[in-house]
Amino acid sequence: MARRRPAVRATPLPLGLVLPSAALLLLALGYPLGRQVVLSLQEFGLAQQFGRPPEWVGLDNYRALIDDPYLWTVVLRTVVFCFVNAALTMGAGVGIALLMTRMSRGVRIAVQSGLLLTWATPVVASMIVWQFLFDTQYGVVNSVLTSLGGDYEGHSWLLEPMSFFAVATIIVVWMSVPFVVFTVYAALTQVPDDVVEAAEIDGAGAWQRFVHVVVPTIRPVLLVVLLLQVIWDLRVFTQIYTLQKAGGITRDTNLLGTYIYTLGIKGGDFGTAAAAAMFMLALTVVLTAPYVRLMFRQEEG
Amino acid sequence: MVGKKKVVALAAIAALLSVTSACGSDDDDPSTSGGPEKADMVMWLNGADTPQEARDWLKKTFEDEHPGSTLTIEEQEWDGLVERLTTALSSEDQTPDVVEVGNTQAPTFTTAGAFSDLTGDLDEWGGDDLLPGFVDGATVDDKTYAVPYYAGSTYVFYRKDLFEKSGLEVPTTMEDFIAAAKTLKADNPDPDFSGYWLPGQDWRDGAAFLWDAGGDFAAADGDSWSGTLSTPESIAGLTTFQDLFEQASGAPADANESDPVTPFCAGNIGMMSRPGWVMGLLTDPDAGCPDLAKKVGVFALPGSDGGPAPVLLGGSDIAVSAKTENQDLARDVVGLMLSDDYQGILADAGLTPARESLSSLLGDDEFAQATIEAASNAKLTPAAANWATVEGTRILEDLFGQIAQGGDVTQLAGDADDRISETLQ
Repeated sequence: MARRRPAVRATPLPLGLVLPSAALLLLALGYPLGRQVVLSLQEFGLAQQFGRPPEWVGLDNYRALIDDPYLWTVVLRTVVFCFVNAALTMGAGVGIALLMTRMSRGVRIAVQSGLLLTWATPVVASMIVWQFLFDTQYGVVNSVLTSLGGDYEGHSWLLEPMSFFAVATIIVVWMSVPFVVFTVYAALTQVPDDVVEAAEIDGAGAWQRFVHVVVPTIRPVLLVVLLLQVIWDLRVFTQIYTLQKAGGITRDTNLLGTYIYTLGIKGGDFGTAAAAAMFMLALTVVLTAPYVRLMFRQEEG
Repeated sequence: MVGKKKVVALAAIAALLSVTSACGSDDDDPSTSGGPEKADMVMWLNGADTPQEARDWLKKTFEDEHPGSTLTIEEQEWDGLVERLTTALSSEDQTPDVVEVGNTQAPTFTTAGAFSDLTGDLDEWGGDDLLPGFVDGATVDDKTYAVPYYAGSTYVFYRKDLFEKSGLEVPTTMEDFIAAAKTLKADNPDPDFSGYWLPGQDWRDGAAFLWDAGGDFAAADGDSWSGTLSTPESIAGLTTFQDLFEQASGAPADANESDPVTPFCAGNIGMMSRPGWVMGLLTDPDAGCPDLAKKVGVFALPGSDGGPAPVLLGGSDIAVSAKTENQDLARDVVGLMLSDDYQGILADAGLTPARESLSSLLGDDEFAQATIEAASNAKLTPAAANWATVEGTRILEDLFGQIAQGGDVTQLAGDADDRISETLQ
């Protein structure tokens, strides 16, 4: 491939264009990452936060974490939560995007406006509304279910971990679906009509057209969106944190994000928190590596 | 380096020129005094505890005494305070100058070096007159890093009309109290009704039942601390809590005690343990329900022995951030908050003054009597340096919430002990 390209003369221009953004990236990502590595090797508590010199402890923080079965419970919980949420979000998002291609203009604009508002609402603001909805004593959900004949008077949605995660899943999926819909819908409008028509004339049913014509065309977009979704759902924090304060049992509902926060900011043990954050980084890399490889392969092909 | 020199120079000039900031100049540690003569001061007060009148007085008085300076009072939620203080106090640019901190949370920050040493100013602010338990709690190696702001233990608010309807008398022992709570609940069948309002995560009021039964959260063993929630006495106390929650309370298991006004004003509370200043919220014509509030009587929670039960010694400390450069001005704010005028406003609102000689300001009505009686047997959380971490990581909210949910007390208490021991190491 390289042989076919005309030889590019080495000029300083490309380098000059790349350098500023590379430097910014290095500063914005490199510094915190470096600091995190350093912290994870230190005994760094509240006293160090206020100026006492930290003590180097080598890999002690990591060892303490690995020996604690609780970390592995949290890691497993995080991975399951991430996959379930990413899958549900992708399913719902692609479904709505497909629906949108069939909608009349007016309906589509109404749906798009609704999705846009969902996307635009600040997380904390919408979390307050969600808490109202699921409130044990005064919640709308309990009130509606009770008036429909269910026994939901004073039902605590957040106390049982499974119920807690069900509520969290509804909220997280609700918040991330708009992004998937918009991106996938944009991709769907790029699927050439003549190809789809040709397939139809050849006798392909709706499902076959979707699987064999539409999906391969929008595959790159689907991969990118899925990748982002996995990353986002892996580091979900605000929703879990707010629901924990609203009544969840903290220890039974911690995901990696809130666990790191509990260790560091709440617990004042920044060294161990940094080590736990390294696990999260490793987990992100491991979980996203296959997608990233797929994407690169696709670009090369 | 230049920055530091500048600060020192400024401090020296300020000390020379200053007419008002005499406080702090007698401090022998130059790094924790001084600062500019004029500044925009920021102070954190928590929750609705401090009445508006006190805030207005403080702002006006401070700004009158320090022309050119301003004082902004920012209200923080009690919930999540430890984590907000941890992040804000460690940043020179972001730190508030003066902060209120829960008396049981103070030791964690004093040992970490987050607060300025106030030892030199103590005499001027009242010395031995300052509530000793609070000063001791904020003293490390003979240096005092925080001073009392107010004290206040919860006592029981009850609806006189409901007591009458059920034919109940004010209980004088723990046994009577529990029976009264259950009777009220049985006589008022609405599922949201609480004979005794006890939200599941309210460990601060739950502590009274733990202590009354002879139990405790943790005990010191030499230098190290370990959880003692699974001793037989503690288990008995926690079981009483569970029993009360199940048989007498209509509050949710997953709620905390931060909003008593909504259920009370809905007529859903027969009794509840709250600090005295909550009365001000109930009588507020906008947010409260003055008509129902008229039917409120109060008494100190009775113990099994007939005396007052050991309730949590609640209250707040005030501290000066170690990172702020406005050290002298911050001390002036603290001085004003400990003055007779300011403490008098707090006392009117039902808060126990920070100086013992001012306790007569509380008056002698039934609220004052309940306040004094409740405080007479009040207890502190374990004096371990890391106690605020136990509070901050919600170990106790988890434990009490799960007990309220109907969990196995012995097993939950054992798990909580492990976590407490690990945290307090």
